[in-house]
Order: sequence, then C-alpha cells, then structure tokens
Amino acid sequence: MRPESATTELVSDWSLLERIVRKDETALSQLYDRYSGLVYSEAKRILRDAGAAEEILQDLFYQVWRTAEKFDAARGSLAGWLLVAARNRAISKLRRKTGKTEELVENGVRVSGDLESQASQNLLLDKVKAVMGSLPSGQREAVEFAYFEGMSHSEIAEKTGQPLGTVKTRIRTAMETLKQVLS
Amino acid sequence: MTNGAHIRDEELQLLAIGAMPESEAAALLAHASGCGECTRRLAEERGLAAMLAFAAPRETPPEAVKTALMARIRTEKEAEAAANRAPRTPAAAQSEGRPRGGWWQWLLVPVTAGLIVATGLLWREDQQLSERLDESNHRIASMQVEQQKAAALIDTLSAPETVSVKLAGTPETEKALAVVRYNPRRGVVLYTAELPPLPADKTYQMWLVPSNGAPISAGVFTPQAEEGRHLWQAEVPKDVAVKAFAVTIEPAGGVAQPTGPKVLIGAA
Repeated sequence: MRPESATTELVSDWSLLERIVRKDETALSQLYDRYSGLVYSEAKRILRDAGAAEEILQDLFYQVWRTAEKFDAARGSLAGWLLVAARNRAISKLRRKTGKTEELVENGVRVSGDLESQASQNLLLDKVKAVMGSLPSGQREAVEFAYFEGMSHSEIAEKTGQPLGTVKTRIRTAMETLKQVLS
Repeated sequence: MTNGAHIRDEELQLLAIGAMPESEAAALLAHASGCGECTRRLAEERGLAAMLAFAAPRETPPEAVKTALMARIRTEKEAEAAANRAPRTPAAAQSEGRPRGGWWQWLLVPVTAGLIVATGLLWREDQQLSERLDESNHRIASMQVEQQKAAALIDTLSAPETVSVKLAGTPETEKALAVVRYNPRRGVVLYTAELPPLPADKTYQMWLVPSNGAPISAGVFTPQAEEGRHLWQAEVPKDVAVKAFAVTIEPAGGVAQPTGPKVLIGAA
C-alpha cells in the first residue's frame, strides 16, 4: 500500500484502508460515508431497484473489510475500483448472470482526478452531467446502453437500428469528449 | 485485435465501458493479463468509464444499510475473538511435557501421520463452518436491514403528519392511478402506482410540486406487473409546503426538472 500523504487534511483512502487492514471499524465507517452515495446511486440507476442496490452496497463494503490487505495501490484507485465493481455486480444481477466476486487485486482502475472529498465529487458530478447533457443524443444513448444497461455494441446496434460501426464510433467519440473535459 | 503488439485504443474503450461481447473481451483480457502496457492503459480507460457513474441521479442510501454492515462486521469480529480465546485441549497441553527419546519414538510416525490427516479434516471442516457462519451472518444482517426498513415504514405511514394523496390519470392515461404518502417532517415520500410498462429508454418520475419554486424529484420508478404492487420510497427536502404531486415520463435515469408528458397528478 502507498504511504499516507502528510500534506492533506482529509484522511486519504490509503490511510483508511491501512486502518481497515488492522480491523478499525471507524475507518470502514469513514470510507463508507465517503463513497456509499456514489456506489448506491450507480447500482440503483442500473437496477432501478432500491433493495437490490442496497444489497450490492453492503456486500461491496463488506468485501473491502474482509480483503483490504489484498488491495495494491500500484493497480490504481480504490474509489475507481468500488465504482467498477458496483457496476459489474449490478449488471450481472440485471442480466441474471452469476459472476465470481472481483478480488481487490484483479481489476486495476486508474482514476486521474481526486474523489476523496465531497467538493471534488460535486465538481466531477457537474462536469460529467454537463458532458452527458451536451452529447448528441445518439452518443449519449450508446454510452448509457453500454454502461448502465450492460449491452454489447452489437446489442446496441440491434436495439437502435444503427450499423455496428456507427455504434462503436459514437461510444468512442463520447468517451473522448469525456476524457477531454475531465483531463 | 492488436496494433503491433498492443490492444487498439478503440477496443480498450469498448472493453472498459462494458460494450465488448464476452467472447472478444476474454481474448483481449487474456492479452492484457500478460502485457504491462495494455494493463496500464486498460486501468486508465476503466477509470474514465467509471466516471460515468456520476451521470446517475444522486441518491442517498438508507441509514439501515450502514447499520447492518457495521453490525455484520462487529458480529464477525466477536466470533473471531471468541474463537481465539478458546482453551487448548488437555491432550495438547500434556504432550508438551512428555520426555523425548526411546524405542517408542517409532510409534510416533503412524500416530503423527494420523494426526496430520485428522488435522487436515478438521481444518476443512473448520473452513466449511466458517463459510456457513459467513452466510448466516449475511442472512442475519439482511434480515436486520429488512426489519429496520419495515419498522421505519410502519412508523412513517402511521405518523399523524403523514398525508395521503390519490393521483389520477390524465385523459390519455385515465386508467392509471397512484397513491402517495408524504411526511413533510421526515422528508419522506412513499408511493405505489399502477401504470403501463415503458420502453427501456424511458422511466416514470415522481415529482413534488411545492407552493413556491420548481418541482422536486421524488425518484424514478419502473412498474413491474409480474411482481405485484410495489412500494417506492424517496427522501426529499424536509418541511416543503407541497401543493400537488405529479408523475411524468422521462428519459431513463430521470431528469433534474420535468420535461416529459404528465401521466398522473393529484392535489395535496
């Protein structure tokens, strides 16, 4: 794990994770307060079922509690991993698929911005909403079908009646726009 | 698949956002697992795709989820502490004081082998018991959440300040109906609705219409006829003077302010 930054007033995710490894309940509580809203919102948007989203939320943070020592900072961001893992679990549930639980070490997720403070989360929220609002409807629709509905590019092409190449281009263009705004 | 030795950017983006069919994704992931450069680029693309989570309408999870999570880990900690406190067996304590040497040492070989086998069996049993304990803890925690939610629901429904409003359909949706219960002091809205299903890219959205100011979202919902009547719950700002409730059809995921057609409305 990465050493704690001494310059930030906010307790870093890494510091909280180190305390969770030592079975400090208050650290898990702080980490939960920091990201539960994001994780829950994402899972609920995918599943449109509050109960199922709550189940994913609890299970995910329980997994952090049980396997915190396996997380390696070199593989990326804890916040990013939480969002990706929540999305994958919700999509599996939505599509009635059974997937194995993601190990903390398996999926590297590198987030360029800071997600640790509420202010930075609010800023990202505004930026992402603005990008999504500004995208042409075809691009926005393609990205939402992929990320929130778990559809493959060929499923999106079939659903929207667009050629496969068009769907791929729309997704790519939308993601490039998002990358430019967030970078 | 690759440009030179590496996965193309386009493929990485589709993989990261989850739009790559499973068969193609498996081949790309197999390559990435042995390629440091593609692993790094995939982690970056996954990080970018994860930001799409911010496009979801912001919701606050019920407090009961955290309560159940903390209860779950506390139960587990207590169980582990109890296991660590368990006393050693008298046989184990006796063997430590036994003198060494003598012909009977050879008897220790089969005995030790037997003990190793027995230890293995006990370890496996212990693992199975631990897994069962985990499952039980999970079930208990889930039941605690459900119980707390049910208690909170009953409490809200029976509170004297909770108002009940029936929403009626518009001329286009005259068979539709919904019942809303709103507790202004707690900022909680509960509702049930009978509405026709919508295409996947649309959703119903419930609104509080205050006496002053813009409508306030009380969440999106999808009627599921096969599961019977469903009760939705939303947290909204407290102490709002509400003059009406309405339901509109909006793009999937909901919107900040109503844009679609009104299908239900009722005065508070």
